Amino acid sequence: MSRKTGDWRRRQYLKTTGAVSAAGITALAGCSDDGGSSEGITIAGTIPTSGSFSSLGQDLERGYELGVQRMNEELDQDVELVLQDDESDAQQLRENLQQITSNNDVDMIWGSFSSLLVTAGSAYAEQRDIPFLGIAFAYEEPHRNDDYEWTYSPFPKSRDMARSTVGLLELIPEDERPSRVGIWEPNSGWGNEQARYWEDRLTEEGYDIVLREQFELGSQDFSTLISQSQSAEVEVLLSNPTPPGGITAVNQMQDQNWVPDILKFVRGADPSAWWSALGEAGAYVTMCPGWVPGLTGNGNENLWQTYEEEYGLDEGQLIPVNVGGAYNLTQVALQTFQAADSMDAGDLQSSLREEEFNTVIGDFGFEDNGLPAEGELTAPTGQWWEGGQRLAYPESDHEYSVDFQYPSPPWDER
Amino acid sequence: MASSELVAQTLVNGLLLGGIYAVAALGLSLVFGIMDIVNLAHGHMLMVGGYVAIILFAATGITPLVGMLLAMVLLFVLGVVLQKVLLQHVVDEGLEQPIIVLFGLALVLQNVGRVLLGGDARSSDIGVPGSGLDLGMVYLSFPRTVTFVIAVLLIVGTWAYLQYTKTGQAIRATAQNRTAARYMGIDTERIYVITLGIGTALAGAAGSLLSMLYPIDPFVGWSYLLKAFAVVVLGGVGSILGTLVGGLVIGVSENLGALYLGGGYRNIVSFSIFLAVLLIKPEGLFGGSQ
Repeated sequence: MSRKTGDWRRRQYLKTTGAVSAAGITALAGCSDDGGSSEGITIAGTIPTSGSFSSLGQDLERGYELGVQRMNEELDQDVELVLQDDESDAQQLRENLQQITSNNDVDMIWGSFSSLLVTAGSAYAEQRDIPFLGIAFAYEEPHRNDDYEWTYSPFPKSRDMARSTVGLLELIPEDERPSRVGIWEPNSGWGNEQARYWEDRLTEEGYDIVLREQFELGSQDFSTLISQSQSAEVEVLLSNPTPPGGITAVNQMQDQNWVPDILKFVRGADPSAWWSALGEAGAYVTMCPGWVPGLTGNGNENLWQTYEEEYGLDEGQLIPVNVGGAYNLTQVALQTFQAADSMDAGDLQSSLREEEFNTVIGDFGFEDNGLPAEGELTAPTGQWWEGGQRLAYPESDHEYSVDFQYPSPPWDER
Repeated sequence: MASSELVAQTLVNGLLLGGIYAVAALGLSLVFGIMDIVNLAHGHMLMVGGYVAIILFAATGITPLVGMLLAMVLLFVLGVVLQKVLLQHVVDEGLEQPIIVLFGLALVLQNVGRVLLGGDARSSDIGVPGSGLDLGMVYLSFPRTVTFVIAVLLIVGTWAYLQYTKTGQAIRATAQNRTAARYMGIDTERIYVITLGIGTALAGAAGSLLSMLYPIDPFVGWSYLLKAFAVVVLGGVGSILGTLVGGLVIGVSENLGALYLGGGYRNIVSFSIFLAVLLIKPEGLFGGSQ
């Protein structure tokens, strides 16, 4: 069932209540601890609208909102999304989910941003046997080691990031292709996993890993890493810092007058705040955010249309990448509910395991542990260019894509 | 094995970083040493100073070096008001009450920042022409070098103020013995107002300088407070020279630690040195001196 937009938006943050109680009770705006409806679909979710990932919160929220709007149009039942601010904090996220699920009959949980927060949400969902979907979560090991049964991640994983990096480099003619690769590895589980994938895959392809150095997650000073990279003559620099670490690192590269030919910051270059913070200094940097303007099919056109209707787009303005990633998650949810034709958790789990999903990031199914089936996801690489994140790999002639811009020019030539 | 150029560059980077740490800690040290108050809102005042410079730069293109002066004035006023309205009533009530008041203020500043400015990290630019200096073995980043020089000037200026001005001497006298200072005719309440004003103004200056090097968001306050606190304790509470040396020691040890042991050990190295110094010399490297 569709809802009026104004009322629907307001109610994202509220609980419909009363379970059961009468329909009029839904007017209890502002209450977050009243009971949920047993008739419709209730989805719990958290987003970081404050804290270190707050620059991403609005993007996720918008993607979820557009998706729920679509679900309400396509499904026979009302879909209620109860979103709360997790403050970019795993403990807060757990408390939020505890509160939402204790007051509602929750059918599904949607994740937040980053491996740190998404794994916190998935751990909660696994304990309570609630289907969980999470994006901005490339970390693979929890899927394998934590016996996930209810967690599904429609998002490129570390191995896909490495594959996409190889693909991006292959866009460069072989005789011009740089070969000296440096990896800055955050001292986290995902940091180690991603660095290992990059090192293994690129070594396999004949690249020289001339530098692999750790740094503390959340570090503000990259001067030593920059000096080490310069000393090792790094041409391709790969890393996965959390925001706003990527912005800080580029600022300091500029200060130290060094820039690699190719720079890929997975997650670190995702936020739309990148351009407002760095301007032209942020150009040429690539990222792998799951969805990038320039992708087509599977609802991309609808995403652009509804986004523009709902939030507006200035001339030349593009949709932030995490809106697309979040919208892709909602498409998986929609198709899961459609296939299950039920709100039973077991039926939803079966659908997630068995169905082939078609979303704005591509066509894929899931392994039993919730990983997207290997090799099925596009894992697009975007590049910051003319103020927006544009599809660079795979190549496309879409107006929002960009021919991969290489190499990054020295700072004094920009 | 790291090349000599890399070691030299790392050392210089550490020194430049240490200067920034020192100026970030200067106001905290002053207030801690003289008023015996741990200003838990120091990091958040630094954040306010950073935003003043950033907003001024974004709106008018005025360099944060000028923005720094405005931030100092605004933060001085904030410090004066804070002392007169809140802290004056609790300053002699033990350690806990000022800490609770300042903790609350920190949360207020953080949330006001988030509501008014959003959660996105923002930064400024030095905004004056100039490029780094290539000395062959090492490259001196222009904004870092300028920031370092201004940081040292602020530290020297604060030291000279305390050493050679009448008010500065009154501040030192109050720090040594408040009761004796009163008997000598010093208006200690006024001295506290001035001290907190100077301390918060220095936080504002540090924030403006830091905004040229690191993004500022409403949540950075706690991390700067932690680092500044380490510098203050390492150098010696209330010691201006100690603040500079403490900052430099932490900056250099972090960078050399990252080079030789890996970036994951950065804080472990610097805080191990911090702990070692405290074990050997609990009052800090320059504890007791001004």
